[in-house]
Amino acid sequence: MDRLRSGGLVGVIKMTFARLSCLPLAGLAAAFAGSPVQAAPTQGTLGTTSTGSVSISASVPNRIQLTGLMDVAFTNQDPSVAAANAQSVCVWSNTSTKGYYVTASGSGTGSAFTLANGSATVPYSVEWAGSSAQTSGTALTAATALHGLTSTATNPTCSSGPASSASLVVRISTANLQAMQAATTYTGTLTLVVAPE
Amino acid sequence: MAIKAPATAHPRTAGRASARRRLAARAGLLALCALGFTTDADAASNKVRISSLSDVTFGTLSDLSSDAAQSQSLCLYSDTATNGYNVTATGGGPGGSFQLTSGLSSLAYEVQWSNASGRNSGVQLSPNVPLTGQTSAASHQVCSNGPATSASLIVLLRSASLSSATAGTYSGTLTLLVGAE
Repeated sequence: MDRLRSGGLVGVIKMTFARLSCLPLAGLAAAFAGSPVQAAPTQGTLGTTSTGSVSISASVPNRIQLTGLMDVAFTNQDPSVAAANAQSVCVWSNTSTKGYYVTASGSGTGSAFTLANGSATVPYSVEWAGSSAQTSGTALTAATALHGLTSTATNPTCSSGPASSASLVVRISTANLQAMQAATTYTGTLTLVVAPE
Repeated sequence: MAIKAPATAHPRTAGRASARRRLAARAGLLALCALGFTTDADAASNKVRISSLSDVTFGTLSDLSSDAAQSQSLCLYSDTATNGYNVTATGGGPGGSFQLTSGLSSLAYEVQWSNASGRNSGVQLSPNVPLTGQTSAASHQVCSNGPATSASLIVLLRSASLSSATAGTYSGTLTLLVGAE
């Protein structure tokens, strides 16, 4: 399950540069340091050497990516023991603070965190931690953003640097397990949206 | 004390001597040329000029998972005997490296050069390292007649750099120095 969100776009800034013309390499540094700045590009003049320059500009917008998610399966769960499943995931954010927020939505009514088998439903809970390998985190409310998270990921899919950067924990309480019908499969979908901030 | 009167050459003899001197001078000049000496006229003709450069504007790069490239055709003129030249690129990063900056963040780029116009790829340039052995098809120093352009400059932003870059607006200067050869 991947979610990619873009943030605000930034404008292109024309840069300034030092004017150079027919200078040997040894003189470039001095020319950059001492010449008045003006708009690029600079066209070269005719000589034994000729120097031109261009400005280069590019804008990188806010981007975020969530990867490394795995399906959650509770099988043959003992109703007397609370069920918990924790997994480490990769959240990458390219903002200057590497900040992001996460919003979880279940497939139940009103995005509720519920599993269903026909008309029978069972609630579950969701927690999120801003670091990997955690077995608990901050409880999420359905369709409500959890702000103020930061990522340590250095690659969009964590293929380099940290292999994961956050933790997702799904729980079913004993009370809810005991309300489930035996030998019956309950299913649902949990959707996670991350956005840069 | 003996006093000698100045020798006065016979006019016909003097003319032959003058001709011999002129011949010797010509022979000497020929010898100099054969040895590779250049005259002022020759030196003045070893000229190059780079022109028709445009700024490189990538704009907002929405797809950070793909390489971004901008190419431009420009006029590179050389009037050496072979129309040869070399080109050296210097970026605005440390040591002339090809880097754009946005505050404290940096974004690496690559530079390629082709000695033909209208190209989307070329020979990879290294900062401060001349690419030699280039030739120009330009017949005018600013390509105002003959071919309108004679070389291509390609600037690339690799996806590996883009996807690891902090969001922001990056800028920098690329300087191109060409020399006759």
